[in-house]
Formats: sequence, C-alpha cells, structure tokens
Amino acid sequence: MDILKVEEIKKSFSGVNVLKNINLSIKSGELHAIVGENGAGKSTLMKIIAGELEPDSGKIYLNGKEVQFHSPLDAINSGIALIHQEFSLVPQLTVYENIFLGREISKRFLGINFVDRKEMKKEAQAVLKTFGIENIPVDSKIKDLSVANKQLTEIAKALSTNSKILIMDEPTAALTLRETEKLFSILTNLKSNGVTIIFISHRLEEIFQIADSVSILRNGELIATKQINEVSMEEIVSMMIGKSMSNRFPPKPSKKIGDKFFEARNLSSDSFKGINFSLRKGEILGIAGLVGCGNTQVGESIYGLRKFDGEIYFEGKKINISKPTDAIEHGIFLVPEDRHDLGLVLQLSVKENHSLPNLDLFSKVGFVSTSIEKKSVKDTISYLNTKVSSINQRVDNLSGGNQQKVVLGKWLVRSPKILILDEPTRGIDVGAKFEIYKFIYEQSSKGVGIILISSELAEVLNLSDRILVMSEGRITGELDPQSATQEDILRLAVKGKES
Amino acid sequence: MTISKSNGFIRKYGVIFGLVGIIIFFAIESPNYFFTPSNFILISKQSSINILLALGEMFVILTAGIDLSVGAIAGLVGAVSAGTIVATGNLFLGLAAGIGVGIAFGLINGVIVAFAKVPAFIATLATMSAITGITLIYTQGEPIWNLPSSFDFIGQGNLADIPFSIILMALAFIAAWIILEKTKYGRHVYAVGGNIKASRAAGIKISAVLVSVYAISGLLSAIGGIVLASRLGTAEPTAGSGYELDAIAAVVLGGTSLFGGEGWVVGTIIGGYIIAVLNNGMTIMNISAYYQEVVKGLVILLAVMLTSFGKKYWNE
Amino acid sequence: MKTFLVVALMIAGIAALSMAMTIGFCVSTLNNPYFVSFTNGAKAEAQLLGINLIVMNANNSNSTQLNQVEDLIQRKVDAIILNPTDSDALVPAVIAANKAGIPVITLDRSVNGGRVAMYIASDNVEYGRLEAQYAVKLLNGSGNVVLLTGIPGASATRDRTKGIMEVLSQYPNMKIVANQTAQFDMATAMSVMESILVAHPDVNVVIAENDEMALGAIQAIKAAGKSGIIVIGGDGIPQGIQAVKNGTEAVDIAQQPYKMAALGVSAAFFVVNGISLNPTSLSMPLFPVTKDNVDQWIASGD
Repeated sequence: MDILKVEEIKKSFSGVNVLKNINLSIKSGELHAIVGENGAGKSTLMKIIAGELEPDSGKIYLNGKEVQFHSPLDAINSGIALIHQEFSLVPQLTVYENIFLGREISKRFLGINFVDRKEMKKEAQAVLKTFGIENIPVDSKIKDLSVANKQLTEIAKALSTNSKILIMDEPTAALTLRETEKLFSILTNLKSNGVTIIFISHRLEEIFQIADSVSILRNGELIATKQINEVSMEEIVSMMIGKSMSNRFPPKPSKKIGDKFFEARNLSSDSFKGINFSLRKGEILGIAGLVGCGNTQVGESIYGLRKFDGEIYFEGKKINISKPTDAIEHGIFLVPEDRHDLGLVLQLSVKENHSLPNLDLFSKVGFVSTSIEKKSVKDTISYLNTKVSSINQRVDNLSGGNQQKVVLGKWLVRSPKILILDEPTRGIDVGAKFEIYKFIYEQSSKGVGIILISSELAEVLNLSDRILVMSEGRITGELDPQSATQEDILRLAVKGKES
Repeated sequence: MTISKSNGFIRKYGVIFGLVGIIIFFAIESPNYFFTPSNFILISKQSSINILLALGEMFVILTAGIDLSVGAIAGLVGAVSAGTIVATGNLFLGLAAGIGVGIAFGLINGVIVAFAKVPAFIATLATMSAITGITLIYTQGEPIWNLPSSFDFIGQGNLADIPFSIILMALAFIAAWIILEKTKYGRHVYAVGGNIKASRAAGIKISAVLVSVYAISGLLSAIGGIVLASRLGTAEPTAGSGYELDAIAAVVLGGTSLFGGEGWVVGTIIGGYIIAVLNNGMTIMNISAYYQEVVKGLVILLAVMLTSFGKKYWNE
Repeated sequence: MKTFLVVALMIAGIAALSMAMTIGFCVSTLNNPYFVSFTNGAKAEAQLLGINLIVMNANNSNSTQLNQVEDLIQRKVDAIILNPTDSDALVPAVIAANKAGIPVITLDRSVNGGRVAMYIASDNVEYGRLEAQYAVKLLNGSGNVVLLTGIPGASATRDRTKGIMEVLSQYPNMKIVANQTAQFDMATAMSVMESILVAHPDVNVVIAENDEMALGAIQAIKAAGKSGIIVIGGDGIPQGIQAVKNGTEAVDIAQQPYKMAALGVSAAFFVVNGISLNPTSLSMPLFPVTKDNVDQWIASGD
C-alpha cells in the first residue's frame, strides 16, 4: 500500500525546470532512498512533499487522498516531517526546549499559563528513550552538542509530533561511522514502529546497508525506482550520471614515490598527542579515523591554523609554522574540511576566491593586474573542468563539487609541494568526486606530497599509498592499503575507545 | 567590486533608479529652482561632508564592522583644527593636528576591535561618547570662531569655479574606488568582511586589515570635520553629532551589506546624494519639518526593501 | 567706619547662614553656549555666597534629568535649582522633591505641576514678538520672510514661533516664503538656508529663533554671494553679538542667562534660609542688541 504518491510534479525557478514531471510512490513502512547528483532536484522534491515549496503543477496523495500543502505546518499536521541538512534547532535553547518549540507544555497557575519545564523535560526524556538515545542530556544547550546529537535531537523533535513520514536530507554527511551506525539502528527501530522514512544520501554504501528501495533522479527527472536487492551499485551510479562507470575510482597511475621531504616530530596540542609521521614526494598519505579523532586538527595545525608543540622538518630544515602565511610560504596548503567555513568567501566571485591567497602573484605595487588574474582563473577552471557561468559568478551559486574545485584550484597557482586535503569529497556528487580523485593522482604524480584526511574508508583505501589511523588524538597504527581492509582501519580507529 | 550578473543587477542599479526617480519628482515639482545646474552644485556641496564620512564608514562596514564614532571624530577634529589655528595662527599646523587626531582615534577604534575583540558596535559607541566628551572639555562647550579667512577656503572656496569641498569629495571617492576595486588591499577588505576565517586561512593579516579600515574611517571623518568647521567658519562643540547615522544610511542605501563583504563605492555616493537631494528638494518645496522626517524614513525603508527584494528575486 | 562694620557683619551673617548649604543645579544641556554661560553665572554666585553647588547636566534627556533630581533628593540637598529639559516630563521630579521637603526653583523653562518656590525665565513669546517687530520695522511692513524655527515640539520653539506669528499676522505684506526647522543648529541652518535661497532668491529678511541658526543663515547668504538680506537672531551669544557689530546680523534679542542663573541661586539661598519670596515668578528682561547699542552691551559685560 502506498502511503505517499506524487503525480506529475513540475517546478521551475526563474525559467529553469528543476523538476520535470515527477511520478513517485512510497510504500508504507519502507525506507526509501533518493539518490542523484547535486542539482538533480532531490531537495526540491522533498521540500515540495514537506510543504516548504509549492509545485507549479502536479498532485500529492497521502494514503490515497489528495492533499495540498501551503506551508510546512500543513505537512507536519498531516504527519510529514523534513529534517534539513542545516538544522532548524535554536542553538541557544536546550534540547527539551527545542523539542517542544512552538508547542510548549504549560500549566495554569492563578489563571495564567506558565511553561511547565519539569513536564517538558520529563516528556523529552521519554521521547529520547523511545528511540534509544536517552544519553543526550535534555537540559544541555544545542550549541554544546555534537553534530550527531544535534541530528538525533532533530529526529526526536520531528517524531514527537507523531510524524508518520520522516524525510531526511543527507543525515549522515556530518556523522562519524559509529554515529551513523547508531542512527541506522534507530531508523530500523522506527521502521518497525511503522514510520516511513525517505532518505537522501550521497553515500551509496549506506543505501545498500539500510534502504528497502531506491529512486534515482537525474536532471529533474525520475530515472528509476528499484528494490534495493534488484540493483547493483554500478547500475545506480550509471543511472545517476547517465553513463556507465565501471569504477568509482580512476585507474591508479604508475608513479615513482620520491624521497622523504616532510617530517612531523612529536606534535601535541589539546586535540592530539605525540604525532610522528613523515611524507615522501609524490606520496599520498591517508590519515583515517572517526570524526573527533584529531586528524582534522593535525592537518589544520600543520597549516598554521592552530597552536601546537613539536617540530616540523621540511626539505631538510626545521621550519616554524605559527600562522597560515608560514605554511603558504613553504608551499604547504590546506583544503579544509568545511569549505564554507574556511575555504571560501561565499559573497565573492569565483575569480575573487581564486585570487584571494594569490594576490601577491597577481599584483604590481599593490594593484591587481586584471589580465594576469583573468588568465590564471581561466587556466585553472579549464584544467579542473570547473563549471561556472562566468568567472564573476558568486561561489555560493555553485554546486558543492564546483565550489571544491575553486578551493583546490586556488592553490594550484602556487605550485604546491604538500597538499593537505581534509575530507576533499564531502557533500560532492559522484561525477565530481571522480574528477577530484583524478586530480589527486595527477598532483601526486607530479611529486606533490598529499596528506589525505578522510572518514570515507573506501576513499582512503583506494587512493592512499600508506595509511595512518588515529584514535583519541593518537596514531594507533599504520596500514598498507594493498593488504588492509575497511575492518582493519575500523579496528585501529576505535582503539583506545573501549578501554 | 564585481557582482555576478544574475543577482547583482537590482542591488547594484536599483539605487540609481531610486535617485533618478527622486530627481525627476522634484524636477517636475520645481523645475525652475530645483532642476538647475547651480542647485546641483549646491546639493553636491551639501552632501560632501556626509559622503566623506560615508566613504570611511563603508570600509568599516565592508569588514562587517560599524563605526559609530565618525560624527564625534569629525566634531573633535573641527575643534582641534580650529583651536590650533586660533592658538598658533598656523593653518597647516591646525590641519595636521586635526588629521592626526582623526587617524589616532581611528587607530584606537581599530585596535579595540581587532585586538581586544570588543564588538565594533560597542567599541565605537564607547569611543563616540568619550570623544564627544573630549570635544566638550577641549572647547569648554563654547564654539571656536574668529578663524582666519585662509581657513574658510576648504569649505567655502572655489577652485576653477568648483567648490573645493566637492573636489575633496571627488578625490576621496576616486581614491576609495581605486583602493577597493583595484588593489590587493581592497580585495582583502571584502574578503575579511565576507569570511574572516577563510581569509585567515588564505594568509591575510586580519588584524592589519581591521585596524586600517578604522584608521581610514578616522582620516575621512577628520577631513569631513575640517570641511564642516570651515564651511561654518566656526567649530561648534556639538558639530558632527548625528552625522554617523546619515553616513551609515548612505552606505546602506548604496547597497552595502551590514553583514560585510558586499558593497559598491558608487552606491555609497548615490546613497549620500539621495539623502542630500531629499533634504534640498523638500526644503525648496517648503515641506513642513514634520513631514520631511516621515518622507526620509519611508524613502530609506523603500530603497532597502527594494534592494533586498531584488536580491531575493534574482537568487531564486 | 560704621559702614565697614555693617558690611563686615553682613558678610559674616551670610557666611554663617550659608554654612554647609548644598544646592543641586540641574541644567538641561551644556552643549550650547547659552547654557554654558547660564551655568557659569550660577557657579559664580554660589562661590560668592559660599554655597556648595552640585552641577548636573542632563544632556537634553528627560529620564537622565529625572534620575539626577532623584539622586539629589537622596543626597538631601537643601534646594534644587532645575532647568527642566521638558515642562511635563519633570513634573514627577518636582513632586518628589516637594514630598521630601526640598524647595525647587525652576529656571528658563517652567514645570507644569508640583510646587515651585520661584520661577525665573525669559518670556519666549515676547522673544518672538520682538524679533518679528524688528523685521517689520526694518522692512517698513513689507517683504519676503524666511522663518528658521528651532527643534520641532520644543517649548522654546513653540513660544517663539507663536510670538513671531502673532506680529507677522498683522502685516499682510510681510510674506513668509519659507518656514523650515533648523534644529537650533548652525550647520543645519546653513544647509536649509542654502536650499531656500535657491527657491527664493528674493528673500528680504531671515528670522531665526536663535543665534546659532542666524549665524548659519549668514554663512549661507555669504556662500551664495548675496547681500542686503536682513538676519535677525536671538540669545545674545558672543558670536551673535560679534555678528551684530560686524553688521551681518541686524538684531540679536539678547537674553541674560548668566544673570538669570545667578538670580536663581540667590533665590535658593533665601528660600533655604526661610525667607519667603514674593512674587514667585520673575520674567528676565530681553535686550534687543542692534548696531546702535552693541558697544554698550559689550561694555556691560554680559
């Protein structure tokens, strides 16, 4: 029995057809995955189902009856809740206040309604317990929670309104493996309680792990809906990108790994202790670990964004890095984990972002030379196959993959010696991922040392020449990707956690 | 700064249409008096002080800061310049002292914001109050007048039939335009306002940028303050009070985002002209003061709403 | 010798009477030469009488002034001299002082409630009348008039405008071509006057409701290269008197803030010493200063 059915949904923004005639059925109690490249129309479709957008035409049926949503509240009242990538929680309020936001429990005293905090806390606790997430303290403020706990709070909030359909937009994007596992067990639990779940994800492995069926969108069209057991990962990928792709990873280049030219000795800070490792020219060194293990902090420290103790040797000399400029001078660059936070100035154009760290190369006596600048931007864009309407396009209008290419590209100008890539493919569609992998290979073949920080195990295993695994701020082991498996990495990644 | 074609059009040019619309309105209502070359020179002269202050304010707002002390600095600088000239009889010493005081207080603002990490609103609110007090102490609440006629030239004189204050404003505009559009430093100002963390990661010296924009604001406030004192032939102890709001209004009318990182120098000039044209046109039409305030408020609101509506529309 | 003794005894008596007398002096603002002179008069008189004068400046804020009066009541001063920022908003302050048994003297502006031991002010309606009468006289009852009014809604603006209108309404040939506020401020007056001159190049007289605005108008007239426009101001601030001497301002309706405040302090002195005052209100005379009497006025030193 279909709990939800959409018929001939069309939607366009400023003349661009984002959804072209979508027909989709979701069965009651199933976990239905929606996949597609960025810009395929997934989020728009979900927003229409959740009443945040109104379609230009088409119908939505809930339990066989036609419904019309004019606001998210209409959808919530019909039992549909959408959980965004950006949380809709108020950071300054507590968990229980957020769960009951807008429908606070009150008690009457002297004829006046007072908020009943005690009751709200108790209820919130009960809601959390239902889903086995009672370890979240109900009176801690949202801003103090981890991303995973924020996510779980968001789910609890949605379910406390008795939602029958839960729509989740990339819920695992910011979660660690362990947290993802936890989330999945909660989702399975919900499913057995009769909740229907619609799940958007870029991580195909996850879909095979948890989904019952999958719908593939491309360019605003529904390509197919399949039961998960009647489709392979390669088939999904080729449906997503419209051509068959035998492998998600480009072929490994034959390259010569050079001499050791970088060494970190005994690096320590608040987030990591006793970090020792070296890097060779042309080597891709993977640093794997769960979120919070300290690998991001190691990368940011080497780039001069964080204070740390310890010594760094580069090209035979001890070097001092206390600010990003120091690292930049030595040709050591960071592509940060969160490109919106550290990598880009969203209000500025592709050109301006590209030039930001390179203005010294593009200017004469403080004046920016437009011709040098333009040439550099255009060369980089064509090399990386970055899709922009013009070099003056604002970067916030670009897709995740193209944004990441802008971040990568700005360092190419300076002929990098070491690239620290922190989650370089996070939130990026399959096609762009492939291109970024190719880029990593090309750079390493040129002799650039690459430090690849990633929580995507397949990525680390496939790309790296050598893998370090971190847990709780320490290096817990080194693996050879030729022989290691995902389980080996995981074992080292949780080492020290159990004890 | 370049704004993408897709969403910048209304933001960038809406304000020009606004100004043209207001001019057309007054030109129809008062063709003989308002729409004359001499009146446009007059409007330019009247807007010159506010635009000088607004250009400095713009640098600060582009970094996502705000400078509430521009009017107070203008007032103090007028008094210090006038006082020094009266005491020493030396015009250039007076101007140098005034400019020095302006830059010094700008630097103080910058250091408080960049190093003590006090939010700009609070920091400059505090210095605004302190500087106003210093001006009253310095002047003992009495205006400084009996200034030599050589001082009058800055605010009252003409150079080749063009009022000198307009020339100063034009020079400041050209300098600001070149700095913001053409130099490395200008790019850094936009970047710091757009995303301070990403700017740091790109190797930009954040504190140097922050301190310098407040110093620039102090310098331009100082020039504005000197023009004001010279125009009146008097340094009033309360001169400049309230000027910060007109300066901020001009910047925001011109499309600069209060959140930093976005803005256009030409817009600030147009914003300044909108305010001046409204004042001039309504006075020429002898509209009552009560209504003038309402109209000014509505025009500012309308312009800002138009800008944000345009932005939203083009983004979708 | 006898007179000397009498004077010595008087001084001794005054000194004894004023022993440890503390008086609060609340001035509405010090951002204006008029009130600076006003406060200086009070200070000089207090020093002469050996009074401890606590000066408080409200910066034109009603709530600040109310707080200041409450603070003075808390300090149990012997009397409060109040130059109210507003006639209505300070009523609660006066009532509070009444309840505490502290005599209140108001200066320059009245308070519309509570009991006041003494009220001294210039008559602002008369101020306006005098300005307009001079305008009529200098133009023989016919000409184009520009009116520059003070801060909209302020009592001085209301009263002066009322006086001006009262006179001008009797002369149909005195045509008001522009009536604009200039906020009692010189820079504003200059800009406003510049714009007015664009629309009305044929202005004959500017009546400004204080000297600052008159001086701003003079600057505007100068910048526009005009001459022969009569400017009338008031308050009698030094720069205004100088303008009368230079011939740029025709008449300055001078007030005597220094003497007014000094009188206020003497009145407080008597009240605290149990001497009841009669009458309980005084109107300070206004002196129209013109080119003819400006040297005398300067010589008299107010």
